[in-house]
Amino acid sequence: MTLRESATRIARAGMVITVLALAGLAAVYVRALRYTPVEMNQGAAQKIFYVHVPAAWSALLAISITGLLSILYLWLKDRRIDLAAAASAEVGVAFACVMLTTGPIWGKPIWGTWWTWDARLTSTLFLFLLFVGYLVLRGVLVDPGIRGRLSAVIGIMGMMLVPFIHLTVYMFRTLHPAPIVLKPSAPSLPGVMLVTLMSSLGVFTLLYIGFMMQRYALGLLREAREEELAHAS
Amino acid sequence: MPPDNGAFMVAAYIVAAVIVVGYAISLALRIREERRRSGG
Repeated sequence: MTLRESATRIARAGMVITVLALAGLAAVYVRALRYTPVEMNQGAAQKIFYVHVPAAWSALLAISITGLLSILYLWLKDRRIDLAAAASAEVGVAFACVMLTTGPIWGKPIWGTWWTWDARLTSTLFLFLLFVGYLVLRGVLVDPGIRGRLSAVIGIMGMMLVPFIHLTVYMFRTLHPAPIVLKPSAPSLPGVMLVTLMSSLGVFTLLYIGFMMQRYALGLLREAREEELAHAS
Repeated sequence: MPPDNGAFMVAAYIVAAVIVVGYAISLALRIREERRRSGG
């Protein structure tokens, strides 16, 4: 099987998964908006939690996978691993956009401000900007070897920030709520709300997989075209 | 009575959907364009 054929197969599989995940997202919207009760203290704005938390989970998952793939790339020097790391980084930036827009929309009615420069928000914004820089860097570097090595270093640095971001709510005084699911004790959320949150987490994880496969296939298709051009000239 | 802030919830759900669906469309279009450029 040629590189182009395998890329086409991955793109098709990724498309199917993405369509299924988007249908799942529509179902999550219906469940969250129609069938999940309104929280008494925060009101309807609390429901923003069902998209904000899964988007944050997918963004941090994508960035962690970028870091792991970056380590693998520096070890094995396989360009397909570099392409996969770049694919995961771009998907992570997309999910970070959801996280960084829905967060302030929740913050305004609950905190009374769109943004505050506390440890959790500032470190998350820094991570987002780091990965925007990662993508810009990849766009300007022509040599694949240099591009792969430099972006792998940024990818690993970004991954190292992920546990720090998770722990900021324990390490610093911050307005951001502490985790209610990813914590040592049992989740502190009523059952019906927990089911909605877990469904949304599943759907966003599936979206990550579908997006990642499509973006990786796009990288492979570009690679195949560049190889064909190099052979032709 | 819970506070009346439903408009923020609606805004957040719309923004999230626009970003996610927009990115899905962007990926599909870029893959189609890449396949067209390479004649596949």
